[in-house]
Amino acid sequence: MGAHLGRRYLWDAEAEPDPLHMPSFPAQLGLPARQPRVMVASASQLSDARVPLEQRDFCGHHLLRLLRCQRDNFPVPWGCHALRHAWDSCQHEDYVMRMKEFERERRLRLRQQRLRRR
Amino acid sequence: SEMSKDMMPGPYPRTPEERAAAAKKYNMRVEDYQPYPDDGLGYGDYPMLPNKSQYERDPWYQWDQPDMRHNWGEPMHWDFDMYIRNRVDTSPTVVPWHTMSKHFLLFLSIMLIMFGLGEIYPSYRPVGPKQYPFNDLYLERGGDPNKKPPAVIHYEI
Repeated sequence: MGAHLGRRYLWDAEAEPDPLHMPSFPAQLGLPARQPRVMVASASQLSDARVPLEQRDFCGHHLLRLLRCQRDNFPVPWGCHALRHAWDSCQHEDYVMRMKEFERERRLRLRQQRLRRR
Repeated sequence: SEMSKDMMPGPYPRTPEERAAAAKKYNMRVEDYQPYPDDGLGYGDYPMLPNKSQYERDPWYQWDQPDMRHNWGEPMHWDFDMYIRNRVDTSPTVVPWHTMSKHFLLFLSIMLIMFGLGEIYPSYRPVGPKQYPFNDLYLERGGDPNKKPPAVIHYEI
């Protein structure tokens, strides 16, 4: 934790991804069979539930089910653990995808450097 | 208690006899009596006492007025009502002033430098930015519904 910061600020900024300008390579480069992400819940459903904008991501359908279950079971706080776990694991998969994106960007930048040196 | 005209403050004392009379009026010794310099500000013959607040007086001595730390008949400072214990306090600091200011300025400068460095070189997790659907929530973020939004497609990985 912090090795990427050391590499970026003290070493070689070209080889480290800049999180403000990502992704800088075409999406299909090196991964020809990439599928676009599927959004299950619709925009009108999310806006009817008045979900905050930061939570209107690709795990919105799990969140909607969880909120409905919590509203039905109120004031009892238990009873929605399974749906909560489903939403949490979807968020976890999303975070792992972000990490993979970062790593892909980094490897493509290193490859670009190697190609330039050749 | 009525005060007669000769007990009130008078003009600036010029002769030594006037000084002795003024010192006697204010219950002070002639050696201790020192009026304010006569520069027309209007202090007259009122004595100039050291600018020390009542906090600096001994708390354990049996004063006639313990809350004021003042004895009956003692000459009062011109700004006595300012130097009471509820107001201005001129007690000496525990640590010398230059040490205090040095410590404070050192702390302030180090904090400002570190915050500035944090602005120039921000810290972030090694993850890509969060991906949002519907063209990065174009309509939800206030985009014009009549215009065509810039197409943003996110892929699985």
